[in-house]
Amino acid sequence: MEASNTPDDFIPAGLAAYGIEADEIELAVMGAAHALFWPPILELLALDTSEVPAEPAPDLSQAPPSR
Amino acid sequence: MSEALDLSLREQAAAIAAGEADPAELLEASLERIGERNPALNAVVETFPERSWEMLAAAPAGPLHGVPVVIKDEWPLPWRAQRFGAADMLVTPSPGESGPYRALRDAGAVIVGVGNMHELGASSTGSVSVYGPARNPWDTDRCPGGSSSGPAAAVAARLVAGAVGADGIGSIRYPAAYCGLTGLKPTFGRSAMAGHHMAGVSTTIVSGPLCPDAGDCRLLGSVLFGEELKAGDPGPLRIGIVRGEVSEDVAPAVREACEAAIEDLRRETDGEVREIELPELAAATLATVLIANSESLGDITPERLNNLDPELSPLGRGLLKYRVLLPAIATVRSQQVRTLARHTLAAVFEDVDVIAWPTVPAVAPPLEAPVVELPSGTLTADEANVRGGALANLTGIPAISVPAGSADGLPVALQLQAAWGRDELLLDAAEAIERANGRRWVEAVPPPARGAEPLEA
Repeated sequence: MEASNTPDDFIPAGLAAYGIEADEIELAVMGAAHALFWPPILELLALDTSEVPAEPAPDLSQAPPSR
Repeated sequence: MSEALDLSLREQAAAIAAGEADPAELLEASLERIGERNPALNAVVETFPERSWEMLAAAPAGPLHGVPVVIKDEWPLPWRAQRFGAADMLVTPSPGESGPYRALRDAGAVIVGVGNMHELGASSTGSVSVYGPARNPWDTDRCPGGSSSGPAAAVAARLVAGAVGADGIGSIRYPAAYCGLTGLKPTFGRSAMAGHHMAGVSTTIVSGPLCPDAGDCRLLGSVLFGEELKAGDPGPLRIGIVRGEVSEDVAPAVREACEAAIEDLRRETDGEVREIELPELAAATLATVLIANSESLGDITPERLNNLDPELSPLGRGLLKYRVLLPAIATVRSQQVRTLARHTLAAVFEDVDVIAWPTVPAVAPPLEAPVVELPSGTLTADEANVRGGALANLTGIPAISVPAGSADGLPVALQLQAAWGRDELLLDAAEAIERANGRRWVEAVPPPARGAEPLEA
């Protein structure tokens, strides 16, 4: 099955699952956000991160420990 | 005494310390100037003269003794809860002593007002706020930048010479760039953060200074850091540049000015420019947004989302509701991207001292339509700006926005980023740029700060 970028497939179902109400304007905002975010999210999920070292609680004030 | 307001932050502090300026007169002048200039800018959303006078009366002999400053509506004060620019910020804020408040108080500063901000901190433009948008002093029809819109507009219009903002995804650097100021995003965890409603939860937000120049950022930054940010010789500086959209999908005038500023920096420090690669940059941008969004979910419930304050903007309501739909797998993958980007940067900073690219790819867009024209086409300002602003927040490194030129009468800015803990180097490098261009761009001020006629509200 191919991934879908269509907000109509995703947003109403997601909101309904949580019982979250939304008016038409909010739905339009969410649709625009989805169009912006979803394609790169799918690209993100396709990244091969199998070699990424674990850094469970990174200390962001410092460089990471060398590998 | 209004002339003293036009002095730099450090000149004001020095004049007061030397007995050459009366801090009471300076406070009076700042309040008067806010009254004169702010109606057209909406930079300062609240003053509290009684509290300001109390702060002055109790001010210790610190490095900012008697100097008026503005603080963003993101930080609680003992007499005022933050509103986060929003009618509804999901949590119930309460007054209190935030870290930046304590730092300012203990340094002897006088908080003269609260600066406007973009609703929920959710944009680089400053175009939406429960108070109405702040306006850019260079052109009041333009965005001041966000989310620290009011602090930037207040300093640019010289209502004060310094302001405290917060930067979760570029929110100090974007408004600094749009308003012609210097803005420092500190290394994560190095500046005062206590009392922020996301303290302990957010891994991207830091407090930081917005000032006319790097010297003032050094002074106000030292106060926020709780340690002196010592000046040093930055050179010979190895300057990293990155090919790709962050430096090339940029309005031509901005690109030209930033390339000239990089060359100024190279020449001034007897340094060199090296091309570097940041292969995770695009993924890092998305990862930053996803992580920041996920970190705000702790206070969200479906019931709460069904009972948002109706005064919250439709944009704010829609984006809050969309956040809960973002998949956990994307956030997990974002953390992996964060790790990759941090390792890449650690290696890059073995070869270069700073990374340079435009803070924002185009000058401040109109408030009515915050979009920018780039070589690739028309983009929303947020979509364009986040490309260059997110990496420092994702990885924790410090970054600074430095005035670097002008296009269409509006400021242009160069961003410099350095390795963790090298905030001082960024200030040194910013001062090198100032020296190289004769302080041309840090001394440029917008019409209301030139003594031009008061702006029409």
